[in-house]
Amino acid sequence: MRGKRGAVMRWASMLALAAAIFVGDTVTDFEIAVSVLYVVVVLIATGFLPTRGVLAISFGCIALTVASFMLSHAGAYGPGVVNCALSVSAIAATTYLALKSAEATLAEQAARAQLIRLARVNSLSETTASIAHEVNQPLTGIIASGNACLNWLACDPPNLPKARQAVERMIGDANRTSGIVARVRNLYKLPKLNANWIDVMSVVDQVLAQSETELQRNNVAVTVMFAGAPLEIYAEAVQIELVLLNIMLNAIDSVARARSEPRVSIEARLADEKRVELIVSDSGHGVAPDRLETIFEAFYTTKTDGTGIGLAISRSIVEAHSGRIWAAAKAEGGAEFHFLLPGRKKKGA
Amino acid sequence: MNMAVDAQEAESPIVYVVDDDQSIRESLEDLLASIGLRAKTFASPKDFSRSEKPDAPSCLVLDVRMPGVSGLEFQQELTSAGMRMPIIFITAHGDVPMSVRAMKAGAIDFLTKPFREQDLVDAIQICLSRDLARRRMERVTTELQRRYASLSDGEREVMKLAVSGLLNKQIAAQLQLSEVTIKARRGQVMRKMRAESFAELVRFYHRIVGSDTDLVELS
Repeated sequence: MRGKRGAVMRWASMLALAAAIFVGDTVTDFEIAVSVLYVVVVLIATGFLPTRGVLAISFGCIALTVASFMLSHAGAYGPGVVNCALSVSAIAATTYLALKSAEATLAEQAARAQLIRLARVNSLSETTASIAHEVNQPLTGIIASGNACLNWLACDPPNLPKARQAVERMIGDANRTSGIVARVRNLYKLPKLNANWIDVMSVVDQVLAQSETELQRNNVAVTVMFAGAPLEIYAEAVQIELVLLNIMLNAIDSVARARSEPRVSIEARLADEKRVELIVSDSGHGVAPDRLETIFEAFYTTKTDGTGIGLAISRSIVEAHSGRIWAAAKAEGGAEFHFLLPGRKKKGA
Repeated sequence: MNMAVDAQEAESPIVYVVDDDQSIRESLEDLLASIGLRAKTFASPKDFSRSEKPDAPSCLVLDVRMPGVSGLEFQQELTSAGMRMPIIFITAHGDVPMSVRAMKAGAIDFLTKPFREQDLVDAIQICLSRDLARRRMERVTTELQRRYASLSDGEREVMKLAVSGLLNKQIAAQLQLSEVTIKARRGQVMRKMRAESFAELVRFYHRIVGSDTDLVELS
């Protein structure tokens, strides 16, 4: 698809450049070191090829340099040897430096991803701790007052005014607790939907672009399946992208941990007149049949560094769109996430 | 010990509660009142420090997380100021390292809010009985030191040598005094220290010099 087309273009331009340099190098004099320009080819290769590919391209360029030297006849032979040696060493040095820098970039990306994950877990654990603290304060008051009330009632004769006071304090503390709960709910309430008719393909494209690094790093092959006419959904783009991205990242994580070949597919189809169904399926280790519901509950996670809120938030977003989300286990292994959203065939298509 | 210093406490015990949360202060004060315990509550460690504290067996129920000085810091301040009131920590969000730190610094208990009434009451009883015992010990020591202070230098010298096990004859030789003088001083020591037996005098002496730390040597 889109990614594939980009790769073909890159290959084509790289090979065309190499060919042009080869021709230029061959027809010019020995003294003119056109072959130094091969470093550009190597630099293009580092942009989209893995280490082994870059090495192959680099050896190819060196071979072409030497071949040009053999084929050239014009000019002084001595400076030609020097120039050829310089070109070869320039290509080798560029390859080495480019590979080093690619390695550093990868390491930096991994470190940043780890940092983001940590920050997420941290802020969540801090939030839970402070909610627990806030709620435990009035609860302590309620329990202490309740005990005091029982003690006053157990007196002979019962001390009713004191008992009443204690109960009133309990009611006050209980109201305070419910105020805290209301505040917490407000804190996590989803903002009002700002829905529009949006193209399903553009949502998928956006998510693929955002997950590209993860896909490449884990060597995951993505298939996008769109049957028939273009579809559109009535949704807030940012929120639905968040849901799809979350499910994509889960799928990538799952296939990266599984032994099978890492494959993820995204499918969109018209479920009926008014609804579009999106299906993300993967070749990962799947979801146990008895967990298919549990995974959507908040704070449930199977990952050591997971927060357990990704799918819970996804569900509340989809439900806010009057949609539905569910998981299924595939017979051949792997998991399948479905979500239904209000949608239709694109107008005018 | 027969020392007539074991008088009853003049004041009933007091439980001090320091917590920044008003509803917790009120409910704890009422809870303690309902089981017949006197409580005084404070919104901050500073208020507690400034308050006048009656001479009574007491304990401190201290919240860990408060604005300003935390409970754990305040515990250290109290310790370095020589305040020896037993402390019970209460916290709405405690973790193991925090409780370990508090207990190592001498806290009696570390309760997580919301706690059971019985756990708090038990901890308070332990604190109060410990404080009572400590206060009694301190009073005895004070009284013995007062008696010891009434001895003359010569009497003190004789007392020291006598409790170390020397005979009158040996003490006389060491101090270059007559045995009669030693005997007279020894009588004075027994009378002023109000010791009923020589064994008691030995115990008194060790209490005064603060020592079971004297090395006991085996021959």
